[in-house]
Amino acid sequence: MNRHKPYEPKDFAGKLAKAFLRSPLTVVLGVFLLAIGYLSLMVMPREENPQMVVSGSTVIVALPGASAAEIQKVIVEPLERKLKEVKGVEHIHGRAMDNVGIVNAAFFIGEEKEGSNLKVYDKIMQNSDMFPKGAMNPIIKPLDIDVDIPVVSVAFYANDKNMSKTELYDKVKDIQQQINGLSNVAVTELKGGNRHQFNIEVDLHKLSGYNISMGQIVQAVQSLSYSVPAIKNSTKDNQIVMFGVKNAIETEKDIGNIIVSEYMGSPIYLRQIAEVQGSYDIQNFKSVLISMRDENGTFTPLTDQVTLTVSKLQGTNAVIIAEAVKTELESHKEFLAKNGISYVITRNDGERANEAVNELVFHLLLSIAIIAVLLVFVLGWRESLIVTFTVPAILAITLFVAYLSGQTINRITLFAFLLSLGLLVDAAIIVIENIHRHYHSIESQHENVDDLMIKATDEIGPPTNIATLAIIMTMVPMAFVGQMMGQFMKPIPANVPIALIASLFVAYIFTPYLAVRMLKKPDHTKKGGH
Amino acid sequence: MFQKFENTLLSSIQSPKQRKIILFATLLAFILSILMIAPTKMVLAKMLPGKNNDTFTIYATLPIGSAMSQTKEVTECIVEHIQKESEVVDMEVFLGLGSPLDFAGLIKGSHFKNSENVAEVVLNLTKKHNRVEPSYLMVQRMRPIIVQNCASIYPNTVVSFVEPPAGPPVLAAIVAEIYGNDPEGIRELASTVSDVFKKTEGLVDVDIMQDHIYDTFEIIVDSTKVTRSGVSLKQLNDILYLAFEGMQIAVKNSDIYNDQIPIYLSLSEASKKFTTKDIRALEIKLSSLKLMNKMGMMIPLTELSKIILKKSNPMIMSKNLHQMTNVMAETDMVSQVYPLMEARDTIIQTFSDRYEIKKTGLFNLQLTEKSSQKVYDLVWDGEMEVTLDTFVELGAAFIAALVLIFLLMVIYYKSYTISGIILLGSFLSIIGVIVGHWIMNIFTTDTFFLTATSLIGFIALIGISSRNSLLLIDFTKSLMLEKGMHKAEAIAYATATRAKPIFLTATAIILASTLLAGDAVFGGLGVSLIFGTIAAVVASLIIVPVLLNMSDLESHFHFHEKKAVSILEP
Repeated sequence: MNRHKPYEPKDFAGKLAKAFLRSPLTVVLGVFLLAIGYLSLMVMPREENPQMVVSGSTVIVALPGASAAEIQKVIVEPLERKLKEVKGVEHIHGRAMDNVGIVNAAFFIGEEKEGSNLKVYDKIMQNSDMFPKGAMNPIIKPLDIDVDIPVVSVAFYANDKNMSKTELYDKVKDIQQQINGLSNVAVTELKGGNRHQFNIEVDLHKLSGYNISMGQIVQAVQSLSYSVPAIKNSTKDNQIVMFGVKNAIETEKDIGNIIVSEYMGSPIYLRQIAEVQGSYDIQNFKSVLISMRDENGTFTPLTDQVTLTVSKLQGTNAVIIAEAVKTELESHKEFLAKNGISYVITRNDGERANEAVNELVFHLLLSIAIIAVLLVFVLGWRESLIVTFTVPAILAITLFVAYLSGQTINRITLFAFLLSLGLLVDAAIIVIENIHRHYHSIESQHENVDDLMIKATDEIGPPTNIATLAIIMTMVPMAFVGQMMGQFMKPIPANVPIALIASLFVAYIFTPYLAVRMLKKPDHTKKGGH
Repeated sequence: MFQKFENTLLSSIQSPKQRKIILFATLLAFILSILMIAPTKMVLAKMLPGKNNDTFTIYATLPIGSAMSQTKEVTECIVEHIQKESEVVDMEVFLGLGSPLDFAGLIKGSHFKNSENVAEVVLNLTKKHNRVEPSYLMVQRMRPIIVQNCASIYPNTVVSFVEPPAGPPVLAAIVAEIYGNDPEGIRELASTVSDVFKKTEGLVDVDIMQDHIYDTFEIIVDSTKVTRSGVSLKQLNDILYLAFEGMQIAVKNSDIYNDQIPIYLSLSEASKKFTTKDIRALEIKLSSLKLMNKMGMMIPLTELSKIILKKSNPMIMSKNLHQMTNVMAETDMVSQVYPLMEARDTIIQTFSDRYEIKKTGLFNLQLTEKSSQKVYDLVWDGEMEVTLDTFVELGAAFIAALVLIFLLMVIYYKSYTISGIILLGSFLSIIGVIVGHWIMNIFTTDTFFLTATSLIGFIALIGISSRNSLLLIDFTKSLMLEKGMHKAEAIAYATATRAKPIFLTATAIILASTLLAGDAVFGGLGVSLIFGTIAAVVASLIIVPVLLNMSDLESHFHFHEKKAVSILEP
C-alpha cells in the first residue's frame, strides 16, 4: 500500500465527507433525521388542499321600507366609499335590494385574517354616523374559511315516517351539544328540521264574522304569556320566602281558552275563531331531504332529515376531528336506534384528506422503489441501496422544516415531494457514480479508500453545488407568484429548495460514509491483471 | 456503447455540414412546437383540468318569486334522474337554503341562499378508485338530460352543476362583467350577451346575476284617513304582516325542549290564499281585515288604502363602486379560453349595428350605444381572469428564473457565451413539453390541457437541463486544462463520460414523474417533466456540444487560467 499524504479537500463537499467519514456521530445523525421525519409525518395536520388565506367581510345594513334605488344611494354607495379607504381591499361588491343593502369587501389573497377583519370593523364603527335615520345597526360578518367550511356533515333521519317533525330535531340537538364539546371542534350547525311552536291559525271569515281584529288576538295572547323571575321576600325572623307565578300557558289548550273579546255579553274564546296546535314552525319554508340506497340497491324515497355540520379550529387536524366525531356518533348509536333514528355521514373531509395523503405517500414509496431498481441494474445493488437510503433522509429533513414552518401535509406538499424526488436523488447519484468510477479505475487502485472517497466527493462538489443552486434559482421566483394560484402552489417553492439543499448535505455526508462501509473494492488481482 | 457515441459525436461536431443540419433541425422543431399552440390549437391551454371527485352539487334556481312547491317540483325531477344513476350512493336535497358550505359554494355565495326559489342537491358517489367513469364525465353526460327535462318545467329556471374545483375556486369559468350607468341598459346588454353565450358551443349553465322583474302590488295608504280614524301606520303594517306572513307574538319557556317555544299567529292556510293574482282578489281579503282604533271601533283596511299594480325593484349590483351585472357560464369539458374568444367575436360582429365597439385591454370591450351615446364596459372575469393572471405571473417567474440562472452561470464561468449556451440548451426543453402534451392528448380520451402545472414543470426543467450542461462543460474544462486535450476531443470525451450520470438522473426524474402524470391537477407537471427531460437530454448531449465547439472555448478558459493552459497546450 502506498502511503499517501491525506487528501486535502478544496470544496465543502469534500470537507463534509472528510468530517463525517469516520465520525461515530454519523450513525446517530442518520437515525435522528429519520426519527424526526417520521414524527413530523405523524404529527403534522393533514388536509386535502392547502390552507388559503382568504379574508373578507360582509356588511349588512337594513333600512325597512326603502326601495332598492334608495338603498343604493343612502346605504350602499357611502359604505362602498368608506370601505375603499381600507388598505388591502381588492374588490368591493355592493348589492342593493328593497329594505336591505349588502356590501362585501374582499381582501387581496394572503392578507392576514384577523387584521383585515379588524380594519373593516374599525372603519364601520368610526363612521357609524353615516347611516341614515331608521337604519338598523350594521351587521358585520367576517369570512372565516376554517370555521365556515365544515369538515364533517352527518345526516340524521327517522326510520319511521310518522315520527313528528320536531322530535328528530330535538334528538339531534342533544347530540349536537355532545359533538360540539369535542376538542378542536369550532362550530356545529343544524340544517333542516323543525322546531316546536304553538300555531294559532285564524279563520278570516270567523274573524270578520265576530268583528275582531288581529291586534286583539295579539294583545290577548301577550297578556297571558308574560312571566317574571321568582319573587323573593323574607319573614320577620329572616326566613327567605320565594314565590312565583305559574305560566298561564302550558299547553295548546290553554292558548285556545284565551278570551279574545266579548260578543253580546258572552266571551269569545280563541279556539272559536282559530285553530290552535302545538306542532312545528309552519312558516319555515326550508327543508332538507335525503335519499340513499337501501340494502337492495334501490333508492329510498326522499325523507326529511336533519344535517349536522362540524367545522374545525384553524391549524387543527381534520383527520383526528373526523375520527372523534365518528366515535362519538358510535356511542350514541344505541340511543338513536331506540328512538328510531339512523344516520349517515355525508361528508368526511378528514377521511378524504387521509386517503389523499396516504395514496401520495404510497406513490412516493413506489417511486423510490422504482428508482432503486433502476440503480441496481446500472450501478449495482450496494450503490443502489446507498442512494435509496439518502431519499428518506432528505425527505425527513424537508418534512421537519415544513413542520417547523407551520405547514400542513396536503396534496400540494406531497406533489412538491414527488417533484423533488427526481431532483434530489441526483446529488447522491452523481457522488456515488464518481466514487464508483474512481473505485474501479486502475489509476486509483493503490490509493487509500478514505482518501478516494473524499477525493471523489470533492471533485464533483463545485459543479453539483452550482447545478443545485441553479434549480433552486428556478424555484425562487415562483414564491412571488400572487393570486389564488400562487397561494395554492406555495408548497412547491417552499419545499423543493429545502429538499434540494438537504439533498446536497445528505449526499456529501452519508454517501461516502455508507460507500466506504458497503462497497467492496474490486478485485485488484483480477482487474489489475491486464 | 459510449465509445461509439463519442466517435459519432466527434465527427459530427467537427463537420460543418452536419453541424448545420443539427442546428437547423433544432430550429425547425422549435418553430413547429410553438406552432402547435398558437394558430393550430393542437395543444390547448387551460388553467387547471377537471378533477375526479367523489361528490358534486347541483344548484337549481327558479325565477325570484317562485313558490317552494315549484322549487320542490324541479328538485324532485332532478332527484328522479339521479336515482337512475348506478354510481350514486346517496343524495341530500336542501330546499330554500344552501348545502353545507364548501370551497365552490363559498365563492358562489351558497351560504347566503335563503329564499323559496333556490335548492341544492348534493350527490355522493362511490369511491373514485372503484368507479370507471370520472365525475367530470358523469356531469357532462347528466347535464343535458337534466337541464332539458327539469329546467324546462318553469321558464327561466337555471340548473347548474358545481364540481369541487381542482385548484382555487372561482365564481364561474367565464364571467362577463357589464358596467355602465344606466341600469336598464345594463339589463338589456346583459341579456343579449347571455343569448350569445347560450349559442356558443362549449358553454353551459349560462346565468345572469340579476333579479327577474315581476308584478307586485303596492298598498297606498291615505294618511289623512289613517290619522282621522285614530289608528297608526305601524298598526296597519303589523296587521298585514301578521295576517299573511305570520309572526311569533309570544314565547313559552320550557324545560323539556331545547328551545323556547314560540307562539305563532297568522291566518289559516285556507283563508290566506288569494283566489287570483289581481287587485280585486287582494281587495276582498283586505276588506275582511280590520283595525281597532282607540275608541274600540273596527275599521276595515280597504277604507284606509287603495291598491295599485307595479313592477318589482330589481337588485342593484355594483363592483368597486361601479354599477355592474355579471353574466356567467360554465364550460363543458373544454378550456374557457376558446369559447370566450368565440363569444367575443360574435359580440363584435353582431352588436355592431346597435353599439360602437372599441377593444380595451387584452380582451375587454367598450360598447357605446349609437342611439343614446351611453357607454358600457364588458370586462372578463372568473377563471379567465385568474388564468391570465396566473400565466402572466408564471411567465414572469420563468423569465426571472432564466435571468437568475444566467447571472449564476456568468458568475461561475465569467463568460457570456458559455452562459448563453447553457440557457439556450435549457430553453429547448420546451419542445419536449409541447410535443409531450400533444402526444398525451392523442392517447387520452378527454382533452389533455397545457396547464399552470405544466408551466411549473417547465420552470423546474430549466434548472434540470442547465445542470446537465453544467456538468458537461465543467468536465470539458478540466479535461482541457488538466489533460491538455483539444477542444473537440475534450467535448466529445466529456459528453460520452457524462452521458451515463445524465441518463441516470434523467431516468430517475422520468420514473418519479410517471406517477405524477396520472393525477388530474399535476398531470401537466408530470408530462412536462417526462418529455421535457427527454428533450433536455438530447439538447445537452447533442446540441450543447455542437454549440460549444462553435464557440471559442480556449479563450474563455484561458481567460482566467492563462498560465496553466500555456504549459499544457501542445
